[in-house]
Amino acid sequence: MEMEDPPLDDKARRMRDLLSSFYAPDPSMSAGSQPKGASFDNIDTDSFDADQYMNLLVQKANLEGLLQRHVEMAAEIKNLDTDLQMLVYENYNKFISATDAIKRMKSNIVGMESNMEQLLDKIMSVQSRSDGVNTSLFGKREHIEKLHRTRNLLRKVQFIYDLPARLGKCIKTEAYADAVRFYTGAMPIFKAYGESSFQDCKRASEEAVVTITKNLQGKLFSDSESIQTRAEAAVLLKQLDFPVDGLKVRLFEKLEQSMGDLQVKIGDIAGALEESNDEHENNLQLGFSVPHDASVREFVEAVRAYRIIFPDSESQLIKLSEDLITKHFLTTEQYMKERVSTATFLRVLRIIWNDVLVIDEVLPEGLLHDYCFKVSQSAVKQYFSSTFSHLLQDVSDALMNVHVKPKDVSEEHHLQVALESGKNSLLKGSMDLLLGLRQLLEDNLDLLVKLRELMTDWVQAGFQQFFEALDTRFLLLSGRNKLSSQGQSPREGLQSEKVICGLVLVLAQLSVFVEQTAIPRITEARTEMAASFSGSGARGYEHGPFFLPAEICRVFRSASEKFLHHHKEPREVHMFVDLFLQELEAVGNEVKQILSQGIRKHRRSESNGSTTSSLSNPLRDDKLRRSNTQQARSQLLETHLAKLFKQKVEIFTKVEFTRESVVTTIIKLGLKSLQEFVRLQTLNRSGFQQIQLDIQFLRTPLKELAEDEAAIDFLLDEVIVGASDRCLDPTPLEPPILDKLIQAKTAETREQNSSAASSTTQQRL
Amino acid sequence: MQAGSSGVGYGLKYQVHLIRLSADGTELICEGLFSHPNEIWDLRSCPFDQRIFTTVYSTGESYGAAVWQIPELYGQLNSPQLERVALLDAHVSKIKCVLWWPSGRNDKLVSIDEENLFLWSLDSSKKAAQVQSKESAGTMHYLSGGAWDPHDVNSIAATCESSVQFWDLRTMTKTSSIDVSHVRTIDYDTKKDHILVTAEDETGIHIWDLRKTKVPIRELPGHTHWTWAVACNPEYDGLILSGGTDSAVNLWLAPTGSRDEITSDSGQNSLSLKVDPLVNSYTDYEDSVYGLAWSSREPWIFASLSYDGRVVVESVKPYLSRK
Repeated sequence: MEMEDPPLDDKARRMRDLLSSFYAPDPSMSAGSQPKGASFDNIDTDSFDADQYMNLLVQKANLEGLLQRHVEMAAEIKNLDTDLQMLVYENYNKFISATDAIKRMKSNIVGMESNMEQLLDKIMSVQSRSDGVNTSLFGKREHIEKLHRTRNLLRKVQFIYDLPARLGKCIKTEAYADAVRFYTGAMPIFKAYGESSFQDCKRASEEAVVTITKNLQGKLFSDSESIQTRAEAAVLLKQLDFPVDGLKVRLFEKLEQSMGDLQVKIGDIAGALEESNDEHENNLQLGFSVPHDASVREFVEAVRAYRIIFPDSESQLIKLSEDLITKHFLTTEQYMKERVSTATFLRVLRIIWNDVLVIDEVLPEGLLHDYCFKVSQSAVKQYFSSTFSHLLQDVSDALMNVHVKPKDVSEEHHLQVALESGKNSLLKGSMDLLLGLRQLLEDNLDLLVKLRELMTDWVQAGFQQFFEALDTRFLLLSGRNKLSSQGQSPREGLQSEKVICGLVLVLAQLSVFVEQTAIPRITEARTEMAASFSGSGARGYEHGPFFLPAEICRVFRSASEKFLHHHKEPREVHMFVDLFLQELEAVGNEVKQILSQGIRKHRRSESNGSTTSSLSNPLRDDKLRRSNTQQARSQLLETHLAKLFKQKVEIFTKVEFTRESVVTTIIKLGLKSLQEFVRLQTLNRSGFQQIQLDIQFLRTPLKELAEDEAAIDFLLDEVIVGASDRCLDPTPLEPPILDKLIQAKTAETREQNSSAASSTTQQRL
Repeated sequence: MQAGSSGVGYGLKYQVHLIRLSADGTELICEGLFSHPNEIWDLRSCPFDQRIFTTVYSTGESYGAAVWQIPELYGQLNSPQLERVALLDAHVSKIKCVLWWPSGRNDKLVSIDEENLFLWSLDSSKKAAQVQSKESAGTMHYLSGGAWDPHDVNSIAATCESSVQFWDLRTMTKTSSIDVSHVRTIDYDTKKDHILVTAEDETGIHIWDLRKTKVPIRELPGHTHWTWAVACNPEYDGLILSGGTDSAVNLWLAPTGSRDEITSDSGQNSLSLKVDPLVNSYTDYEDSVYGLAWSSREPWIFASLSYDGRVVVESVKPYLSRK
C-alpha cells in the first residue's frame, strides 16, 4: 500500500542511484534487482534475499493481496525498463555532442601558425631599419663630442698658464682663499702633465703656494690676528694638504702646557689657604686668586679660539677641560689627606666651581656641569668619609691611650679619664663635624646646592657607618673577636686580660652613652639642619634608609651586653673565694669610676623596695638555719624540698647600665658557672665541706655587693646542693664549726686588705 | 609509631629508662626501667638497632664503657638486668663518649677518652668488641667529646679544650682542626655535607663550613649562660636546637644555603641581618638542660633532658608552618 503512489523525488532519486550503479565498477549492483521482489525499501539493497521475502509475503498476505502485489510489481518493472532505455539514449546524445565539439576545435587551430610567422617577419624588418639609422648618425655624434673635449682642454690650458700670475695677484691682495681655490683646481692637471708641458707653470705656481702656506702658518700661530682669520687660515691650510693635524697637536701641546702651569697655581692657592689660617687670610687669598683668575681667563680664551679654529676638536677640548677639573679635584683630595677644615674645603670648592663656570661658558656642549658634579660628588664624599674616619680615629685614640699604657701613675682613675675623654671626643667631635658640614650645606654655591640632597644622604650614611665602625672597633678592643685577632691573646696573656676587663666596662658605658645621649643629640642637630633647608633635607630624613637611630641604639645595646657577658670570672674552684672577692672588688672599683652616683642611689632604693627579695629571704634563711641543726641527710632532703616549693628564680635578667646591675650580673654569672662546674666533678667529703664553707663565707659579702639577693641566695644554695649531689659522702659541717671558720677567715681578710675594705665601706656609707 | 622515639634517662639511682612516646604524641610512657651498675656519664643509642645502646660510666675512681642490649620485656617493669653485649675495656683514662655512625649499619664504634681515640669492631653475635686501632691524641690536649661525620664513615670530629680536631679512621691520623675553645658539643648537619655546628661555653653557637675553617660562616648568640648541647634537625635545613645552663632550649633557624652572601654581609653591615635567627625559646625548665635529641621518625619532635631528671618532648610544628 505504501508503494502505491511513490513520490516524484523518490522516483528521481532511484533513477540517479541506478545510473550511478550502472557506471560503478561494482557489477553486483546492476544484477541486484529481480522481478520477484516486493516493494519494501530494502528491496534495493545488496543483501536482498528474494526467497525469504517471498516467504514472508506469502505468510503475511492473502491471495488477493498477493495478486494485487503482483500487478503492482509488474507495473514497476515496466517503469524501470523505460527509465533505463531513456538513460541510454541520453548518454548517447552526450557522446555525439562531445565529438562535434572536438571536431570544431581542430578546424579552428589550423590557420593560427601562418599568422604568427607573418608577425615575426614584420618585427624583424623594423629592427634592421632602426639599426641602419643608428650607424649613419654615429660618425657625426663622435665628431661633436671630440670638439667639445678640445674646447674644455683649451680653456684649462689657458687657466693654467694664467695661474702663477693670478696667484701672485692674490698674494698681493691677501685673498688667500681664492688663491687656494685656484691652486687646488689646477692640482690634477699639474699632477698629470706637471713633468712635461706645464713645467714652468707648475714651478711658478708652487712657489707662490709655498709663500701662501708660510703666510697662512704665520697667521695661524700669531695671537695678534683675529680668531676669524686664524680659523680661515687653518681651513685653507687644510685644503692645501698641509699637515694640519701636526699643527693642531702642537697647539694643543702648548695649551696643555699652559694648563699645567695653571694647575700648579691652583696647588699654590690651596697650599696658601692652608697656611693662611690667621689674620692674613683674606689678603693672601685675594693676592693669590688674582693670578689664578688671570690664568683661567687665558685658558678660556685659548679654548674659545681653538674651538673656532678647529671645529672638530671639541671632544679634545672637552677632554682637556675635564682633565683640568679632575686635576683640580685630585689636588683637593691630596690636601684632604691631611686635616682640612670645612671652610678651607669650601673655599677650594668655590674656586674650582668658578673655573668650571667660566669654562662652561665657552664649551657648552661639554656638559662640564655634569662632569664637575660627578667628580665633585666623589670628592665631597671622600671628604665626608675622611672627616668621619678622623673622628673615629680621635675616639679610638682617646680609648687606646688607656689600652696602651695601663700602668700610668693614675691607675686608679685611668678608666674614668678614659671614659671622660672618650665621651668628650665623641660628642664634641661629632658636633664639630655636624657644624662644619652644616656650613657646607648652607653655602649657596651652585654646585653645592645641587649636591645638597646627596650630601644630606651622605651625612646620614656617614653617621651610620661611623657608628657601625665604632661598634666594630669597640668589639675589637674588647677582645671579643678573639677569633679574628688570635695573635693577640696568647702574647699578652693574663696581664692584658685584666686591662681588657676594665676597658670592656669603659666601652660598655660609652656605648650606653652613645645610645642615650649622643645619638639623640646628633639626631636633633640633624633635624635642625633638615629644617634649615626646606624640603631637600626633610626628604632625606623621611626616606633616609641609612640613618635609623633606633637601630643604632639596638646595635649598641646588644654590643654592650656582649661586653658584659664576656666579662666572666675564672672558673677555678680551688681557692677561688679570695680571688673571686678580689676580682669583684676590682670590678666594683672600675664600675664605680664609670657609673654615676645619682643613678646608683636611685637603684639602691629601688632594690630595697623590691618585694621579692624581702619576701623570700627570711623564709629561706629560717629554713636553712633550722635544717642546719638537724641531721645531715635530712637536711639535704629538705633543701631539695624547699627548692621544689620555691618559686622559680629568674636568674638572668636584662643588664641595666648601673653599677649594681653590672656587679650583680657578674656575680650571678660567676656563681652559675661554679654551679655547673661542681656538677661535673665527683667530690669527696672534705671537698664538699670546703665548698660549703666557701659558699657560706661568700654569702654575706656578696649580698652586700649585689642587688638581687634572692637570686644570689638561690645560686649559692644551688652550688651547695649540686656539690652534695656530686659528693660520695655528703656530710655537711656542723653550723658552729662553720661559723667559727668563717669568723677566722673574715678576720684574716680584714687584716690583709684592711685599707681597701675600709675605703669601700666609707664610700658606701 | 611503636617506640618511635625512645629516649633514655639516667639518674642518681643508676637506672636506664626506656621511654615511649604514645601514638598520639601527647603522652610519655615509661616502658622499662633497667638498673645499671654504675653512674652513667654518657649514653648513646644504636642508630640501626633500637634495643642496643652504649653507656659510659664511672665507678667513683675509674671509668668504663659498655654496649648493652635491652632484654625482651614480658610485661614486668621491675628493674630487670640489662644484657651486656660487650665491654669496651681498653681505656685507662677518663672516658668521654662512645660514638655510633649515625647514617646506617656499621659494626664499628669509636670511643674517646681524655687522651686516646679507639676504634672498635663490634660483633654482636659473639658478644665481643675488639680494639681495631688506637691512637693517642697527644698529651697537650684533653679530648672532651666528639661526633661522627654522617657523610663519611671514615671521618670523625673530636673536641678538645682549644680546638676541634678531625681524624681519619683509616689511618688514625689527625687531618685538620678548627681553633675554637671550650666547645661543649658538636653536631654535623646530616643533610648538608661540610656543615658542622659547635656549641661553646661562652660564645654561643658557631656554624662552620669544613672547607673554610678560618672563620665560622654563622654565629648565633646562644644562651645567657653556657650553651651545653646542640642538635641539627635531620630533615629541615638550618633548624638547630640548643640547650643551655640558663634552663632554656632555643630553636634557631639559620639556613646556610647562601653562605657567601651571609659572610660578606656580616662583615660590613650587621643591620642587614634583620631576620632574627631565634625562632623560639622554650623556657619552662627548672634547671639546666643537658640533653637534646630530635626524633628520627618524625623530625619535628624533639626530646630534652634537664638536670632535675625531666624529659620534655616538644613539637616544633607550629614554628615550621609559620616559616
